[in-house]
Amino acid sequence: MAEFYKLLARLKGALETPQAPGAHENHKAPERVPVASIAQRAELASTFARELQAVSGRFLGSLSAEKAAASVAALARENSAKSAAVGEGVVTRMSLFSAALEGAGCALMKPRGIDKGHEDERAAMIAQFASCDIGVAEAHFAVASTGTFAVMTAEARPSSLTLLPPISVIIVNIDRVLPNLAAAIAGFGVDAISTNRVSFITGPSRTADIEKRIVMGVHGPKMLYGAIIWPD
Amino acid sequence: MAEVPHKADFFEASRAGVADLELRRKLENASGRHLEHVAEMRAEFPPFEAERDEARRIKEDTIAHLDEYLIALKAKLEANGCIVFFAADAAQAREYILEVAKKNKVKRVVKGKSMTTEEIGLNNSLMRTGIEVTETDLGEYIVQLRHEPPSHIITPAIHLSKEDIGELFTEKLHTPYTAEPEELTAVARDKLRAIFLAAEMGITGVNFAIAETGTLVVIENEGNGRLSSTLPEIFIGVMGIEKVIPKLEDVSHFLEILARTATGQKLTTYTNFINGPRRKAEIDGPREVHVVILDNGRSAMLADPVMREALYCIRCGACLNVCPVYRRIGGHAYNSTYPGPIGSIISPNLFGSAAGHLPFASTLCGACRDICPVRIDIPRLLLHLRWKETEGQGGLAWPRAAQRVRRGARRFAKLANHPRIIRAMGKVGSWMLRPLSREGWLKWMPAPFSAWTKIRDFPRPHPHSLRKPPDTAA
Repeated sequence: MAEFYKLLARLKGALETPQAPGAHENHKAPERVPVASIAQRAELASTFARELQAVSGRFLGSLSAEKAAASVAALARENSAKSAAVGEGVVTRMSLFSAALEGAGCALMKPRGIDKGHEDERAAMIAQFASCDIGVAEAHFAVASTGTFAVMTAEARPSSLTLLPPISVIIVNIDRVLPNLAAAIAGFGVDAISTNRVSFITGPSRTADIEKRIVMGVHGPKMLYGAIIWPD
Repeated sequence: MAEVPHKADFFEASRAGVADLELRRKLENASGRHLEHVAEMRAEFPPFEAERDEARRIKEDTIAHLDEYLIALKAKLEANGCIVFFAADAAQAREYILEVAKKNKVKRVVKGKSMTTEEIGLNNSLMRTGIEVTETDLGEYIVQLRHEPPSHIITPAIHLSKEDIGELFTEKLHTPYTAEPEELTAVARDKLRAIFLAAEMGITGVNFAIAETGTLVVIENEGNGRLSSTLPEIFIGVMGIEKVIPKLEDVSHFLEILARTATGQKLTTYTNFINGPRRKAEIDGPREVHVVILDNGRSAMLADPVMREALYCIRCGACLNVCPVYRRIGGHAYNSTYPGPIGSIISPNLFGSAAGHLPFASTLCGACRDICPVRIDIPRLLLHLRWKETEGQGGLAWPRAAQRVRRGARRFAKLANHPRIIRAMGKVGSWMLRPLSREGWLKWMPAPFSAWTKIRDFPRPHPHSLRKPPDTAA
């Protein structure tokens, strides 16, 4: 604590020196950044789909929840997935996805909050996520301009769900597809951001550390599938 | 301890770097691709310039009221359940982190990429106490296996080819040789996943800390920062005092320009908002979150009205990629945590006179100023540091080469008052040097001119004097 006050004293002393006049003193006040209209859902959905694909994500389509669940079951079969984890939804009935994946032959893992006195279950659940083939989660928002999902963690929607399985499926409701990053951050608001962990996810895990060649799946998911839930 | 630059090493290493054509090929390859991506990203995002101005304005305001924003940040972080520690210097930061590790009986630490922990020399002090420290960013993992520091703040293994990395993995990880980036990455994933699941402590840097919400923003592409801050029971975020930003709404302005300039992406793959430890029933997330806020010379930079601008830096690394000096000598020649143009400003403030030569390692071409997303006038700051040195205000050593130039200029000024001597010297010099030339160029000249011909050829003296044009000479 003493160090904090010493630092503050140093900073106050330092700030008594006025800023030197420099090359930037004539900067004009910046204009406001234009924010796209959200009137056109279809346009937002198509921009989002294009941007998701540009970052090597795979777009399953703008579908009803039932059709999206069927698509997820099909990709589980296609990838010979044996196990899957489905997190708690935001506005969508995730039981549809659980049932479809079970129908596709996947052993299902449903995350749930840790009960008091069962702290030791934590490591086992994380290990289970790590061995799952597919993780399915619902995002709070999607950012059309960058192809980004914004996922907020909850007791039954842990961060590991979109991080540890090699195939990640994230869905978002069409009403929650927003034009840009500023809109999504404002969508959460100060209170939600300060009490929850939020991950903005833009494509599968990637690296360009070897000769700037892009390789997917260095630590997180190797494949990211996205779908927009657009009720019929 | 972090590495302290040394002037003799710099001259030697930069000579070696210039002569290493393979290193230059790798640097040109990597930085050339980066600059192409950056240009594309900027062109297709019209509000880019407005976002730069807004980010600059926010930084100016934040740094001008840094004390107030740090008070607000500390209060909010603590309200979110984080433990905040202010470190005056590198030693205090290291001691605190070691103390936390000891208290929690930590044996294994996983680290996300963090230049601030490189700055404080954290790895060595943890490893000296028997703690296993693993760098988990792929580039950092590679250079750690080679026992080298990173050579670039964004692409740590920029100086290595895929063949170099293939041989390294075969030697250190005992895997069959391959030079395919996909296969090399898969090897690293397997090795590191097991380490992530076993580690008790995760440490990463922090890109932005939002005072209004007490949020640490960590951005990355690989997912290692997310894993380091999600799986271990203890998480430590290490940040410089300048990383604070006032409001939640400010962060999008920085996110819109940072990835576009750093990696040529619209947004990095993961932008993590971390607010504190997990809540009781949550499955993952750390039990304890510590935030180490580091001064280490930054308040002295703040006190200098010109240097203050360097605290606006958001560590995108773009100034390295455009710098003609960096692109020829590489990051290791600087022998400092922070190489390149911005490093030549930060390093003298961190390491004092030991890095006094670095502000002179610049052509002042201004490419760094043009690309900087927050418009830091890097050449102006470099000139300021040079000026401080010449005035003896910085206590920095006046480089030998510059001293020679000054002495030489003074002697020439005296000679220039005697035109006959100058003319005679010109004639004799031209007569002596002409037989040494090959195909119009001199490859060697005697001292002191040998300093020139060591690194480049000198044109053969023209047979005709400017005082006597060819037609009259005949």
